[in-house]
Amino acid sequence: MKRRLTLLLLSLITSVAAAASGLLVDGAWVREAPPGASMMAAYLVISNPTDRDARLVGVESPAFAHVMMHKSATVDGMARMLHQDSIPIPAHASVALEPGGYHLMMPAPETPLSAGDQVEFLLHFDDNSSVRVTAVVRKKP
Amino acid sequence: MTDHRTRSPLMRIILLLLATALLTACSPPKPPQLQQATLLPSAKPIAGFNLINQKGEAFTPDDLKGHWTFAFFGYTHCPDVCPTSLGMLGRVMRRLKESMQPDAMPQGLFVSVDPQRDTPEMLAKYVAYFYPDFIAATGDPAEILRLTRQLGILYIKSAGDKDNDYLIDHSAAVVLFDPDGRFHALFNVPHDADKIASDFLLIKNYYEATR
Repeated sequence: MKRRLTLLLLSLITSVAAAASGLLVDGAWVREAPPGASMMAAYLVISNPTDRDARLVGVESPAFAHVMMHKSATVDGMARMLHQDSIPIPAHASVALEPGGYHLMMPAPETPLSAGDQVEFLLHFDDNSSVRVTAVVRKKP
Repeated sequence: MTDHRTRSPLMRIILLLLATALLTACSPPKPPQLQQATLLPSAKPIAGFNLINQKGEAFTPDDLKGHWTFAFFGYTHCPDVCPTSLGMLGRVMRRLKESMQPDAMPQGLFVSVDPQRDTPEMLAKYVAYFYPDFIAATGDPAEILRLTRQLGILYIKSAGDKDNDYLIDHSAAVVLFDPDGRFHALFNVPHDADKIASDFLLIKNYYEATR
């Protein structure tokens, strides 16, 4: 009970979102799309303080037609984007979705989002738990 | 008594210093110690290509002459690597602007390897978002290839469900052309704007000192 309360307080104070399974999601942001760009990317950090390996298996958002999980990787000097069916979040580890690595990819909505706007994402994990997070749109290179 | 014994020790030291100074002045400067850049053993002239710039005008090897040029190759549908790299290049420009005269500033060039979807009008708005003076070029696939294959820049279409919904794997390196329009250096990933800016100044000084 005390731990739950702490988590609840933590989530209120720092906008960390927590799943029933104990996974924590923090620092969600969406890169503002440059003019003409048809695709956007979102980033966040998922922490797994539990003893059980977890997987992010799907993401949806009311702001986007669909959300894909991708990974950028540079292999032999070639930048490539690889579609991911799921993203592993090992026990007692944090996985950062960040520029140049794992990220969420969404088609840009018809009404452009600008820096300061907020959008919601619903993250689904392999244990059927979900986390709702609010991401801020940021103009960041 | 021989002649040289008549010279005072002070005179000898002065002569020695003079000789050292002369030798140093005549020997070529040493190549700079670089953090991110790889200098080509000798700068490579670039043969003809005919692209279109962001204003819809011709973009040819002549447009690489008279100033340094940083070039990056990608496509606007790329949501992660391209905005990250162009944002980084924008930071390089802003950093250089602090110490360089406006007319000596390098130009920043984005070459779209996706002419099927990227038009000059789209590219104009896209690159200006990252730095107001950035320019862009694209064109006929064969003409893009004429430029990229001289630089070792590669790109290939990958996964896509529909005809117009595809990704492109592409070289992540930033290419540096010198004011003679030659392929001069390459910056491989991971890119750090501060290191690229300081490497550029060293490369430029060395180039000017060895002309």
